[in-house]
Amino acid sequence: MIRYVAKRVLFLIPTILGVIFIIFAVMNLTPSNPALAILGPGTPAEDIEAYNHELGYDRPFLEKYVTYVRDMVFHQDFGKSYITRKNVFDEIWPRYKITIKLALSGVILSALIGVPLGIRAAVKQYTLWDTIPSLVAFLLAAVPSFVMGLVLMFIFCLKLKILPSYGADTIKHFIMPALAISLPSSAQNFRFTKSSMLEAIRQDYVRTARAKGVPERQVIWKHVLKNALLPVITQIGLSLGVLIAGSVVTEKIFSIPGVGSLIVDRINYSDEPIIIAGTILIAICFTLVMLTVDVLYAFIDPRIRAKYTKKN
Amino acid sequence: MKKLTALLIAALFVLAAFTGCGGGGKSTDNADRVLNMYTSSALTSADWQTTTLTSDMQILWVQVFEGLYGMDESKGGYINLLAKDVDVSDDGLVYTVTLVDANFQNGDPLTAEDVVFSYEKAMENARFNYVTSFINSIVAQDEKTVVFTLDYPYSAIAHTFWTVKVYSKREYEEIVASGKEFGIEGHTAATGPYIITGFDQSTVTLEANEDYWQGAPDIKHVKYTVISDAAAQVVAFENGELDYFPNVPNSDWENVKAKAGDNCEMVTANDVKVMFINYLSPTNDGILGNPLVREAIMYAVNKDHCIKAGLAGYGMPAFEYMYHGYVATSPNYEDGTFKTYDYDPDKAHQCLIDAGFTEEEIAAGIYVGTIMTYGNNTTILGKMTVAVQGDLAEVGLIADVDVQDYSVIGPKMYAQEYDIALFGDSGNFDFNNIRQQVHSESVGMYLVRYKDPASPFDWERIEALVDQGVATSDTADRYKVYTELWAIIADTATIYPIAHSGYGIAWSENITIDGLCPSYYHIDSFHWAN
Repeated sequence: MIRYVAKRVLFLIPTILGVIFIIFAVMNLTPSNPALAILGPGTPAEDIEAYNHELGYDRPFLEKYVTYVRDMVFHQDFGKSYITRKNVFDEIWPRYKITIKLALSGVILSALIGVPLGIRAAVKQYTLWDTIPSLVAFLLAAVPSFVMGLVLMFIFCLKLKILPSYGADTIKHFIMPALAISLPSSAQNFRFTKSSMLEAIRQDYVRTARAKGVPERQVIWKHVLKNALLPVITQIGLSLGVLIAGSVVTEKIFSIPGVGSLIVDRINYSDEPIIIAGTILIAICFTLVMLTVDVLYAFIDPRIRAKYTKKN
Repeated sequence: MKKLTALLIAALFVLAAFTGCGGGGKSTDNADRVLNMYTSSALTSADWQTTTLTSDMQILWVQVFEGLYGMDESKGGYINLLAKDVDVSDDGLVYTVTLVDANFQNGDPLTAEDVVFSYEKAMENARFNYVTSFINSIVAQDEKTVVFTLDYPYSAIAHTFWTVKVYSKREYEEIVASGKEFGIEGHTAATGPYIITGFDQSTVTLEANEDYWQGAPDIKHVKYTVISDAAAQVVAFENGELDYFPNVPNSDWENVKAKAGDNCEMVTANDVKVMFINYLSPTNDGILGNPLVREAIMYAVNKDHCIKAGLAGYGMPAFEYMYHGYVATSPNYEDGTFKTYDYDPDKAHQCLIDAGFTEEEIAAGIYVGTIMTYGNNTTILGKMTVAVQGDLAEVGLIADVDVQDYSVIGPKMYAQEYDIALFGDSGNFDFNNIRQQVHSESVGMYLVRYKDPASPFDWERIEALVDQGVATSDTADRYKVYTELWAIIADTATIYPIAHSGYGIAWSENITIDGLCPSYYHIDSFHWAN
């Protein structure tokens, strides 16, 4: 088991280095001029050139890449923002925590809504427990989170006037954003859980369990659910990664100072250090989520455990 | 079913526990009340010199820092601020400025040394060359007198006095000496009515300067929240979470008006949306070099279409580069002293015929290149670009549209690598600013290269008039000079003002406001309405 986890962790290193390389390459290919963005139109060309040099923007691609990786690995230094001249990590980290908080609350909410309803719909197939949630899920899956956000704002802010429309100070500030990102995601969880459960329900071992007289509740919880859970866990893990990386729209609508909105804001200034570090941190988070999913797999699936136990 | 009902009731209780918010809570004590404002992007520094966005300048340039002059459009533009008196020598080369008795937020008295220090800092910054390059020397004559000596007479100096803000030399130097960069944190090195006490990626907080030299502001605490999404700004105002809402999106004006009732006003912004035509463009064998084609383009563009498309109908057709209501020396189209190319498709058609195109060629469509602008398809200029494309097509002129990020489009425009460009300019308070667009020595916004070996224009006269305008101190005389200048520019059919934007301002019932300013509001003119 330890070997399995260690192997997965080691695999993270080339993945992250590759991600950094791609981000650097993309940034290098993108036409931008931070000095012009900062100093504004009307600034003489030589001043723009000098400022870009001062920022280190005009260095060769490979030199920038190698220096960046070295500083990041050995000094935990992500550089300084071109705009604020502040340490990039200090700027990003508080916002990163907010984004993670938002994404986690969204994922938990979507799992709490989608999974139980999916189980119920599979067990009570062709009843109202199945048809109504299925219809709602179709609708929710088709609604982008920013539309959902605006609809929620309309209801809870403009009509009911019971929730604040912006900020991230208290838990009530997170209710609407979390709902906005979790509802479409819970629709996906519902459909995934339902189809996975239906597939498991039709397996021979379930029929055998029922033939043996195992109580229906036990059949569902022990035999069906445990086997149906594997793809659902993958789906939830993936959605966490997607929500972290893709919460920018929700952050913008609800004015939540998360990392996504920071990156988008700084793109306008070509603030490379922030854009690169923000994207790297999102990529690291995504890979860590995937690692967690892999480890959970090993815990749930005895076949993976057995594979590594045998080798030992 | 019972379980479900119990769950629903529990959920309602939880929801109820979170409720009771939404509006800005009203406190009975005005001293504790917080004015809730929004800013569209995070403030990146507390140093006025580093700001480039209007939203940042609205905070730092007005509420926190002050210059020798202030800007208040409700009081006619430039106003004396830290300059009590300004005496100009007969030759217009020496300005002697007497300072008011003011203190910095840190308690230090304002001295001539602080002013000299601040101007020197500004002159070291390339960004402010355009307002300082004519200054030869600045000397502190005594504690309260500063003497500016200029290289040549420069009557637009008011813009310099407004632009350059004054630092407390002592505090600035102490911060730098401690190894920090000035502006990274809040400070008290300014004289303005509000002290910047904190700023981060989501908020900016200001506290009243109780010892402000013009009297302590009525509103003691101000909190800005970064709300970049326009729809979210509207919702926040309608939900009672914002007390002042400048720059209401035009498309939401009616909704905001319905909410604000009497507490709103649509004023004309101090801006211009303008079209440039590059007569040197090689596109289609240099078709834009033909003045009749350029005139056809101008006659074909319907300003009302552009206002409807880009500004949701809230705007005013523009005929001069700067709105004469805000800029006293700006030419006024009502005088009939220059060509305005009023929308006339028939005239556009005739221009094309006169240019030698046949009816068949016009019917088939004549390619005039790409209309370029920055932003995206949902921004004002992006939408106007599409409207212009449609208007041109109506008279048989075919154009492509290229809308991209400013970082891509801006340099192309400044390098004159375009055919037709839509551009936005704002914050012009003196017609001398036209120098940036028409004088060959200006850098950046010189979009039409009047001075060129292939130029058919009298660029020497254009530049002479620019120089003459700025060397003339009498306002009426300057008006005459600039009117002649603008008439020449209009005849070139290269710069075509389209619209001045409508600028919606709304405020909550919590406050009253002494005067509305579209460019730079003054929170010290706000009061609690009890």
